[in-house]
Amino acid sequence: METEAVIIGGGIAGLHCASQLAKMGQQTALVEKAPFLGGHVAQFACKATDRCRRCGACALEDVQKQTGASDLITTLVRTTVESVEQQNGWFKLSLLGRPPRIFPDECNDTECERACPAVGALVRSPLDNRLYLDEDKCLFFKDGSCRTCVEASPELAMDRKAGEEKLAVSARAVIVASGFKPFDATIKPRFGYGLVPGVVTALELDSMLRNDTWTIGEEDGEIRSVAFIQCVGSRDAKIGRNYCSRVCCGYALRMARLLKHRVESLRPTMFYMDIQNFEREFEERLKEAEKEVRLIRSIPAEVRRGADGRPELIYHGPGDERVIESFDLVVLSIGISPAAEDILPNLGTNRDGFVGLDGEEVGTQTEGIFVAGTVQGPRSIDETISHAIGAAGRAASYIRRISNGGAL
Amino acid sequence: VKARAIESIFLTRASRPEVPSTRVLVLGGDTTGILVAERLAGEGFPVLLLGPSDGASVPDTVAVLSGMELEEIRGFVGGFDIVLGNSTGRSVERVGFVVAAQPEDVVPKFQDYGLAKSESVRSLSDVEAHVRSSAMTVPRHGEWSHVAFLLGLERGSDPTVLSRTLAVIETLGQMEKVQTYVFTRQLKVAASGLERQYRECRENGTIFFKFDDAGPIFEGDPEAPVMVFNEPLLGREMELVPDLIVVDEHLGPPTSLNPLLEAMPISFMADPYLQPESTRFSGVETPKAGILALGPSRGVFDPNLIKSDVESVLAVLKQAGDEPRDKNLPGPPEIDPAKCTMCLTCVRLCPHGAMTFAKTAQADPDTCVRCGICAVECPMKAITLAPGPGQTAIDSRVQQGLTRTTSSKKILGFLCSRSAGQALHASKMEILENLVPIVVPCAGSLDVSHILHAFQEGADAVIVAGCFKGNCASGYGTVLAEERSRMAREILDTVGIEPSLLQFVSTAGNTPGVLARAVSELETRFSALT
Repeated sequence: METEAVIIGGGIAGLHCASQLAKMGQQTALVEKAPFLGGHVAQFACKATDRCRRCGACALEDVQKQTGASDLITTLVRTTVESVEQQNGWFKLSLLGRPPRIFPDECNDTECERACPAVGALVRSPLDNRLYLDEDKCLFFKDGSCRTCVEASPELAMDRKAGEEKLAVSARAVIVASGFKPFDATIKPRFGYGLVPGVVTALELDSMLRNDTWTIGEEDGEIRSVAFIQCVGSRDAKIGRNYCSRVCCGYALRMARLLKHRVESLRPTMFYMDIQNFEREFEERLKEAEKEVRLIRSIPAEVRRGADGRPELIYHGPGDERVIESFDLVVLSIGISPAAEDILPNLGTNRDGFVGLDGEEVGTQTEGIFVAGTVQGPRSIDETISHAIGAAGRAASYIRRISNGGAL
Repeated sequence: VKARAIESIFLTRASRPEVPSTRVLVLGGDTTGILVAERLAGEGFPVLLLGPSDGASVPDTVAVLSGMELEEIRGFVGGFDIVLGNSTGRSVERVGFVVAAQPEDVVPKFQDYGLAKSESVRSLSDVEAHVRSSAMTVPRHGEWSHVAFLLGLERGSDPTVLSRTLAVIETLGQMEKVQTYVFTRQLKVAASGLERQYRECRENGTIFFKFDDAGPIFEGDPEAPVMVFNEPLLGREMELVPDLIVVDEHLGPPTSLNPLLEAMPISFMADPYLQPESTRFSGVETPKAGILALGPSRGVFDPNLIKSDVESVLAVLKQAGDEPRDKNLPGPPEIDPAKCTMCLTCVRLCPHGAMTFAKTAQADPDTCVRCGICAVECPMKAITLAPGPGQTAIDSRVQQGLTRTTSSKKILGFLCSRSAGQALHASKMEILENLVPIVVPCAGSLDVSHILHAFQEGADAVIVAGCFKGNCASGYGTVLAEERSRMAREILDTVGIEPSLLQFVSTAGNTPGVLARAVSELETRFSALT
């Protein structure tokens, strides 16, 4: 297959690159390793209260509709990049595609989903509510040990025999839009993630809100307390995260206000170092948020299980005292980490440890390979979209020149 | 706003060119403006650059307009008439696109702090310029020089200002016996490499005070004050007599945006930037097709983000004009000359600034997004949007939908294509089996008559689902939809139909739950009534 650009990653950045290149009349192949498009944003909830709070999560549905309608975009899901070579102005990519495995349209039963013991193996896309199988999590594909789904749901249309397929793609340019890795909260055990019941990551809470599975306080109307702890895995040189993740103040305050909007009696608290701007005229807006969210400038020293079973926070209080306070739910505002695996060689690493070069927004060390979105550094959804459009613009101009044999 | 609304009617007048112009007017004469102009010229666009100062180095490929000011922009993408003026007269240029690349407005905060500019109280820009020139000396009264930086003690700050402050501190750090202090509230470190830069400054001896209380007060001579403050960590009162106070700056939109703001449709103009603060706008897009906002003119000050904006301008200009449109969207507005009385309601209300007039009202097809607001707002009912391919008019879709459904309860949903229409795809079908969905381009394109017609055709209950306020792609479409739902409820009441069987809901494409809840609430309500 020959195309003008290969885009690696089908999240909000990759989708916007593809959509923008299509608007410019350029053909692209959009490569996504997961069974469906959308990336992290597909798990984010709308943060609107009585009005839109500009989180940007709904931008995914918009762009997905556009890319789905375009003939210029070839979408390759369940596909990974095996290798890349450069040859006479072309990138030769070798891709590996996995078969779909299940065909949910042929089966209306949902027993398989309920029975599946492996978390995340049978997943529904938040975008179209269709069922997909993630081979990496499925126990059958791991070691052949599990057949629960087909036993529970005998009609489940499943193909376990189909093999992987190799695909060779030639392209003039490559855009890496492979996104970020959420910070692994177990690296900071003092915040109690995985150790203290009632401690979740912000990403988990976001996903619960999106899927309407968050119900705290809505049923019994009891006063409930929620604490957000900022900078978990950000601004922390000791663990190699000597940068601000830029999005956490925004998502935490938006989520805190959303919870408050849903449960009036709830009192959200946010523990922070410095609150970062995420809107215009920010200080004025912050005063508004302060009426709903208690802001404490202190990162707790420890989160432990209290005598009543609830998580207990120990922190340095405003009056220079040691405070112990219990909450029903503790939310860790985990930061954006560079994605671990090296997608392609020779792209360069910038000072914050992400892909790309310092002082370069969309270019990399290799001419013809560009970066878009959080693979290059922490960004909000809005900033990611703008970055992706910029990367598409630069890639298009590169493609035009190299196709015309023009000197670069 | 009202005066501008009336004036802006006339700003739409322009003859449509037979061949759209690809010429680009770039506004802004600093490095960013020159960089964009050069990039665009390099890609083959004829470029006019307005605003570079004398002596600025501009490549030959860019035509420079000097000694002129932009007064007015008329027309549409591919055919803007740019009115330029100076003391001797006016001239008009025809361009296809306008790019706003002016630098931000930088205002030192002397007044906010009650300080007066002097030898020892200077703005950040002033000190930066001094530091750049090799003749920099730091005032000192004792053996050591104490330099205090004020940073966001009033009106907040910005990562760009922090980055500039730290750069100055790094240079001062190379001098002997200079002690630097930063007085701040929230350190805005949300930019590439900035946290690292801040840590290094702190390790190199700069003292940072972060205040949650009222902060320092300035006593004595406002030209050489003494700073008195509660040391935030120790809670002890302290006093500092700085040899130099560096006052931070507030960054605002470029001062020269007025002619551009006037060319924008009024629906979005709630703030002084060209790009509304709405997630519906990304990259360098503004509410008016063909006018692009880069960096400061859209509220973005981070130099790194401005770099990708430059590329975005290129991306947008290279978009083919004939991009395929959503087949579910209707065609462009058609105006019945026998009915149009040239009241120009459509010109005033079009949220996208797409309407103009000659013998009748007219729509610019490249600017129009087919939201349909003009058609329902036209008092003469002279405007129709032909249904898209394979589509029929709303009323017949309502009739068909209600006839075909086999459900016992018929809940009809008018769903905005930009929110609830998308949420429908993500919905669990069993929850929505009683819903007859009618996807409309924008909830604002619904008229009271459409809603009443649905009841007339046998709907048991009706949902009007628009976007959340502030998220409507057509500015006030969702506000119009909510208002019309209210009006329709009043009418339902007078004709004896329970008004609560009509419900307006705000949704987003990713909130299928909101739609599902609205359906089940109406089901319950309807069951309770029968």
